[in-house]
Amino acid sequence: MSRILPNTRLGYLASRNGPPVFLAPSPFLYCQTPASFSTSSPVAQRRTRRKHAPHPNRGVSALRRTGLRNPVEMDKYPLPVPVLDPEKRSKVAVDKKHGLWGFFRSDKKALNTPEETAAFGRPWVVEELRHKSWEDLHSLWWICCKERNLLATQAYERDRLKAGFGEAEILERNRAARQTQKAIKHALTERYYAFEDARRVAVADPEVDLEAEPGTQAYTPIYSDEAALEPQYPVNQRASNSSAA
Amino acid sequence: MPAPKPSTLGPLQPNRFRPPRGQKRVYLPNFTLTLLRTPFAPPNYATFLTPLHLNKLDLKDYLYNLYGVQVLSVRSYVQQARVRQDKPGARLPKPRRWYRPRASKKMTIEMPATSPFLYPDAPTDFTPWDKEMQERALEAREKEQKAMGAEGSRLPKEDGKTLREQAEELLKGKKAWRPGWTDWDLGGRPKGEVGAGVGM
Repeated sequence: MSRILPNTRLGYLASRNGPPVFLAPSPFLYCQTPASFSTSSPVAQRRTRRKHAPHPNRGVSALRRTGLRNPVEMDKYPLPVPVLDPEKRSKVAVDKKHGLWGFFRSDKKALNTPEETAAFGRPWVVEELRHKSWEDLHSLWWICCKERNLLATQAYERDRLKAGFGEAEILERNRAARQTQKAIKHALTERYYAFEDARRVAVADPEVDLEAEPGTQAYTPIYSDEAALEPQYPVNQRASNSSAA
Repeated sequence: MPAPKPSTLGPLQPNRFRPPRGQKRVYLPNFTLTLLRTPFAPPNYATFLTPLHLNKLDLKDYLYNLYGVQVLSVRSYVQQARVRQDKPGARLPKPRRWYRPRASKKMTIEMPATSPFLYPDAPTDFTPWDKEMQERALEAREKEQKAMGAEGSRLPKEDGKTLREQAEELLKGKKAWRPGWTDWDLGGRPKGEVGAGVGM
């Protein structure tokens, strides 16, 4: 057929003697087109995206949770499932001596009752602190800092839980810590003023040498009436002996 | 010279912690840290409410020297407060006199994975705090404030129902009206059964 039908003349004859033209097979249906001749593999063709080609990730949506178009290596392994029940989660071992326990009392409770909070002594007063060294006062200040941090943590937790009463007890204890801090500053200020006064006196005193080297004599009595008091005050005697030597 | 010690196998993730070299000398700090409950954070993270002037280095130094906590890294976040009308505690709060309360600063520290910390559980029994009593007190106060407010006179009255019943009884003639002072004697004491009669 394919050899005969391309002949238009035969086709014309067939329309005259046989079936009508529109029923005849298309003359181009069976015509042999030359195959494309190429030795390169189709997979080696250049992978450039054509202008109106669909996007390679078309249809992939994180919002609609479609998943990827092609399987990936990770598909062999199941996804981890979150444990929504807090009781089924693995327990965390907390060190008993962890530093953050400093924000809680020794019973390690999140919130102490108002009775427990109200059970405390009294703030330090200035009279007691006047006799303490700077190291003692400094340690006491930091203890007050820790106590106030603890109370702030408990006050926040009490508010969050809407636990009920107990605000006044926390405030009272915080006030005691602040009064202690105030007393510490009071004692230190007094000490500083005393030092300043002593220094001012020493500057005006001709017996005192403020620029003396450490370890050398800074006080030299020059008045005779002090020499008369020597037998009564062994300290002065020692000073005069060393000055004589 | 002693022989060098043989090297031992260390952990896979070495301790990244380096002690802070505090150069800022603060002798008498006067602020508070608040440890916050963060149930959704990993156990080696802790969050604090800090003053606005505190920076990351300060926090690391403070926690190491005061609490012995090793801090690997710090994140900070300043939360702006909502704008409100007039200052809190103003006698007559003026509208459109805008006021923004002070912002709050939160800092999250990362501790080594080997030293996790969990905030202790909250109490379940609030009897020592008298929670129910406080709730009732707050409820009563709110009710009273509402009654004293601008819309207070339009609120339904609590004794409205009984007043209506008494009025209906009077209108139907079931009860005879008598003046209220007749229920009291001259000394101001109730005379007989007060509740039986209809009051003023």
